[in-house]
Amino acid sequence: MDVRSQVSMVFHLDKCIGCHTCSVACKNVWTDREGTEYMWWNNVETKPGTGYPTKWEDQESYRGGWKTDGKKLSLRSTGKARIIPNIFHNTSMPSMDDYYEPWTYDFKELFNAPEGDDQPVAVPISKITGEQIDVEAGPNWDDDLGGSQIYARNDPNMEALTPNQRLQMMSIERLVFFYLPRICHHCLNPACVASCPSGALYKRGEDGIVLINQQVCRAWRACVAACPYKKTYYNWSTGKSEKCILCFPRLETGQAPACFHSCVGRIRYIGNVLYDADMLPEIANLPDDELVDAQRRMILDPFDEHVLEAARKNGIHEGIIESAQRSPVYAFVKEFGIALPPHIEYRTFPMLFYVPPLLPVMSSKENDVIDNDIDDLFADIEKARAPIQYFGSLFGGGNDGVVRYALRKQWAVRLVRRHLTVGDVTKETAERALAQADCTWEQADRIYRLTTLANMDERCIIPPFQREMAIEMMEDPHTHRSSVGFGFRNAPARGN
Amino acid sequence: MNTQASMHTQQAAHRVLVIALVATGFACAAPLTRTAAAQDADISEETVEYFRLNCTSCHTIGGGRLTGPDLKDVAERQSIEWLTTFIVDPKRVIDSGDADAQALFKEANGLYMPTLPGMTRQRAAALLELIAYESTKEESRFKGLQISDRPLTQHDIDRGQRLFEGTEAIASGAPSCLGCHTIDGTGGFGGGRLGPDLTDAFSRLEGRKALASWLAAPPGLTMQPVFKDRPIEGEEVLALVAYLKSRAEAGPPATKQGPLEFLIAGIAGVMGALVLFDLIWRRRFRAVRRPLVKGTTR
Repeated sequence: MDVRSQVSMVFHLDKCIGCHTCSVACKNVWTDREGTEYMWWNNVETKPGTGYPTKWEDQESYRGGWKTDGKKLSLRSTGKARIIPNIFHNTSMPSMDDYYEPWTYDFKELFNAPEGDDQPVAVPISKITGEQIDVEAGPNWDDDLGGSQIYARNDPNMEALTPNQRLQMMSIERLVFFYLPRICHHCLNPACVASCPSGALYKRGEDGIVLINQQVCRAWRACVAACPYKKTYYNWSTGKSEKCILCFPRLETGQAPACFHSCVGRIRYIGNVLYDADMLPEIANLPDDELVDAQRRMILDPFDEHVLEAARKNGIHEGIIESAQRSPVYAFVKEFGIALPPHIEYRTFPMLFYVPPLLPVMSSKENDVIDNDIDDLFADIEKARAPIQYFGSLFGGGNDGVVRYALRKQWAVRLVRRHLTVGDVTKETAERALAQADCTWEQADRIYRLTTLANMDERCIIPPFQREMAIEMMEDPHTHRSSVGFGFRNAPARGN
Repeated sequence: MNTQASMHTQQAAHRVLVIALVATGFACAAPLTRTAAAQDADISEETVEYFRLNCTSCHTIGGGRLTGPDLKDVAERQSIEWLTTFIVDPKRVIDSGDADAQALFKEANGLYMPTLPGMTRQRAAALLELIAYESTKEESRFKGLQISDRPLTQHDIDRGQRLFEGTEAIASGAPSCLGCHTIDGTGGFGGGRLGPDLTDAFSRLEGRKALASWLAAPPGLTMQPVFKDRPIEGEEVLALVAYLKSRAEAGPPATKQGPLEFLIAGIAGVMGALVLFDLIWRRRFRAVRRPLVKGTTR
């Protein structure tokens, strides 16, 4: 058992209101520079939709992530033999057109436009060429202006649905959507790290954050092609690739990452989990629909004595173990089993988990009569507007069972709360629901509290990063002890 | 060549070579300035030029006989009157049965000396003056090149090709022709492109004699400095003449590639390479967003 600690995340999609505050917070902190205009380390997508970059989930085109022959993993985008003939022309590289051409507006036009019949408008100006452009795409295009007939219909997850279900999702009364905020998943088996010819990417040993060393990066952009979530970006100005750093400078000083900190809907949870790195080779080649459970097996119980012993043997500090025991991520993923990894079939083992949205039936239309369905507000999840198969494709690696389990448990918690606070649900109904959902009254209460009441300190359990100790491995902190302090710039001496 | 030479004289009057010397490649002749030539014998440059163009292919002055006899001290053998008459119309003199003329006719293997265009008694006199003047010199500028008259064999052609292509070194250490010139039959990459294509050099330079003169002492701003101290020797000249002659006689090849063919072949090659690359990398990433939007909205 090779126990390691990983800073890991949960996004509760039922709570996301799609306000993009996270994206803007991240943009203002990290990517407000030349060359990073199109980078959205955090972005919020509307689902069903094609996302950003357009249709990133379509790995037939983008060729991100890993594929397996049952025995061995190999990268879809490149390999030891393929990297040489393709090194000056990476054949899996998305172009700017698949992201968007960043633009700003010529606001002077509002004031300087000659008098005319129409109200002057701020003209969009390309940030690449400086010319006027016709804006065709943006980072949340399907949300803002896109049109479902183009973007929602082409959501790759729709392939898991029957033609009837697809039609239903598009019909106006059954129309369903939810938001999917995305950041780097800081995967356990990152394809970006594996693909880099320069070895510029690495996964930090103490917390598992995946970073690109800006000194070593040589602009091959293999990581851009290899990441199935398209969360590494190439900076054309510096000639280096960049990605979400999980605000490690903030984490190291005990603060939540900017997107977590600013989240209006309080959907974001962060905390470290302990996992067994030795298990990765054996589970990496399992069939797609077994991967969610396998990844959960990798995440270890931080109260188990064997685990703790192995963790201590691996040099994991008590403070980190203690924070793993309080981790909301462990609770959501392992205890409750309601948080699921996105597209685990890419086999990078993402460590960002999503609680799938319940999306209950609010109304339906039959024979031109709109039925508000109040009586059946919490009807069975099978009748929910978004088909289970859609979530199965997005969060289950094709396994609908894990999604059903997560949704049913959330549904049970709602019935319990309805019973306790409103009283229109009988105790028997609530208990039946709990039993069906493999849940207890206590767990239902914990889910309820962590979902709705948890404050910042409960949602974000930042492990002590021990940087003061980690730095001792690389340099002697006493090096400058006697050379700083009084008179550092202009040392006092007799006679002057 | 005349253009080059005249440019030469115009540009540097004080160190100009006599135009004929430059043009025929008699580099060994002493350079004469315009004024010196005029003082010496009151011979006009026009006469010298006329002599070079019309006489030197068959005659030398003090260089032995070529087709016609050596003209050194010709005035001591015949009277000026006889010579002038002969020069103006050789065929008539020979056919008139003049004994001396008949003897010369025999010596020349029955070849009539041609009646030269624009030949007058006056001009003939001027030429005789030039010959007389040149005969007084230790070494005339019209001494001519001393190369063998023997027939050219296949052996000469082969050796000429080797010398041309540089597979056999020129004895004096001079560079091989291929360095600067190309010629039909040198294979795939051809030769150098600095100098002109020498395929028809033999016919251009009026045959064996003149070509040999050229090769023995190549004139011109480019070649002269290269070969001045490292001349091509007699047998080598002959071999090269043989080779150039054989190339000229072979005529232009049927599949001579012109610039248009080269262009077409180039475009076809590029297109072929592009098609090949497209096939090799046919699974490469292509645009996603634009086809998606276009495909859905159409």
